[in-house]
Amino acid sequence: MAEKRKFARKYCKYCEAKVEYIDYKDAKILRHSLSERYKIMPRRLTGNCKRHQEMVELAIKRARATAVIPYIIDTQKVVAVPFEQLQQ
Amino acid sequence: MRHYELLVVVKPTLTVEELQAKLSFLKEILEKNGAVIAATLEMGTRKLAYQIDKFERGTYVVFYFTAPTAAIAEVERLIRITEEFIRFMTVKFENQKELRFWNKQVEKITKKSDVAPVVESKEIVEEQQATTEA
Ligand SMILES: [Zn+2]
Repeated sequence: MAEKRKFARKYCKYCEAKVEYIDYKDAKILRHSLSERYKIMPRRLTGNCKRHQEMVELAIKRARATAVIPYIIDTQKVVAVPFEQLQQ
Repeated sequence: MRHYELLVVVKPTLTVEELQAKLSFLKEILEKNGAVIAATLEMGTRKLAYQIDKFERGTYVVFYFTAPTAAIAEVERLIRITEEFIRFMTVKFENQKELRFWNKQVEKITKKSDVAPVVESKEIVEEQQATTEA
């Protein structure tokens, strides 16, 4: 069982950047914790610490309510420019 | 007095004068309810992530202010009545870290809008901090 870890240890990117407060109006900072379909990614995949995960969750929910990021990606109605949001 | 941030999404169809009229109307409401506005940030018209009332775009405006707790309910009630505001979000800033962010934002905005040197705007923010804490 003394095998070496094969992958780099996950760490909290928000801790590394010393983020004190996550602003919901800033879609860029939330993007890291969102999946392709704009779902909130679990902590075990992103490596966020619990404190920052809770801040991110709240910020994402606020961002959704104010139409900064979408609630869902509509697969029936394909958008003309799907990555326009990311370029902002 | 507590620290708040209020974001409103205004209909994109308004003209510049109409928008300014609506914003000053909102400011009036805030001040009438005892709020002290520290900074206003107009983020401009941008694409909404999803349609709201058939609108594809919306004008985002953010207010940073301190107000007594009772004021918020009244202000939100009036925003709900006003048709031009299609979305709003009030956020309360309580603990140390949140307040630091609030001050940073106010400083950033005042620095941008005023041509005054950096040192002066810093002093203004510190003064506001002192008065609200007292
Ligand atoms: Zn963290």
